[in-house]
Amino acid sequence: MATASPSVFLLMVNGQVESAQFPEYDDLYCKYCFVYGQDWAPTAGLEEGISQITSKSQDVRQALVWNFPIDVTFKSTNPYGWPQIVLSVYGPDVFGNDVVRGYGAVHVPFSPGRHKRTIPMFVPESTSKLQKFTSWFMGRRPEYTDPKVVAQGEGREAITAPRKAVFSVHGLTSPRALALVHIKGT
Amino acid sequence: MAEVHVIGQIMGASGFSESSLFCKWGIHTGAAWKLLSGVREGQTQVDTPQIGDMAYWSHPIDLHFATKGLQGWPRLHFQVWSQDSFGRCQLAGYGFCHVPSSPGTHQLACPTWRPLGSWREQLARAFVGGGPQLLHGDTIYSGADRYRLHTAAGGTVHLEIGLLLRNFDRYGVEC
Repeated sequence: MATASPSVFLLMVNGQVESAQFPEYDDLYCKYCFVYGQDWAPTAGLEEGISQITSKSQDVRQALVWNFPIDVTFKSTNPYGWPQIVLSVYGPDVFGNDVVRGYGAVHVPFSPGRHKRTIPMFVPESTSKLQKFTSWFMGRRPEYTDPKVVAQGEGREAITAPRKAVFSVHGLTSPRALALVHIKGT
Repeated sequence: MAEVHVIGQIMGASGFSESSLFCKWGIHTGAAWKLLSGVREGQTQVDTPQIGDMAYWSHPIDLHFATKGLQGWPRLHFQVWSQDSFGRCQLAGYGFCHVPSSPGTHQLACPTWRPLGSWREQLARAFVGGGPQLLHGDTIYSGADRYRLHTAAGGTVHLEIGLLLRNFDRYGVEC
């Protein structure tokens, strides 16, 4: 039954970036992108996107809703490097500059079906107080040049990050596998 | 060879009296296991909770093992440290948990402990910080010399781990 050639399987992700809770900030937009290993490639859909700017609702919920669609299919031969979705949230500061309000990442769920994920967001902070004041004043906060760094395990020990908010991504995953019989787990 | 994929996140930690926590994690396996891809150990960022008491790291773990035997099933071990405003680090707890053996997604809560010293050392820790640490990290996940230790409880480390197993039925292992 074993085949010598690698077996290809597909992973289809449909969902939305539903909403966020950021008690201190308003007028936010988010960007998403996927980070995956070398054996993975997107075959359909968009692997990056920028949402609209949303404001908090006036009612008691104070909800920030994007309802931003995610629709992408990956193909792979190896579960190593399972895709992660990386979210970055930006908003204006007191002076009107666009600054980063949070980064977060989560693995795409492994099993088919409906999943709801709440992603804690963090923002990098400089350890020097002078730098913190200068960056608040000038509007140039510490920001990642490539947000995909958030999905990696190496190099995180250099980061200090007060956590700010909670984010929820509502996703449907259905791995459609041509050779699922070889990989158990769903 | 049977293969195991451990894919998930160290979500964070709760229940520690200190804030500003980070975690050094590692995975220990027996001699029959070989790591094909992924990093075997790492360190998370320092997180200072601003909302609630749970420190969130969301540190990704993605490991691919090949194995010839069940002995030495992987164990994740953690050292949780706190960092104060001066940049000094103090041990908050050690903990370990076995990687689950059934495929699927699992939520794990790993309790931690820290060594207590003599009453002098406990007093010094309360005022100045510091405190005893283990010389050899393998006491965290092995039971061998534990009887010598006197410890106190720390908080809990929370993980979400997904497990994919491959070719285990070829060797007569049902999972």
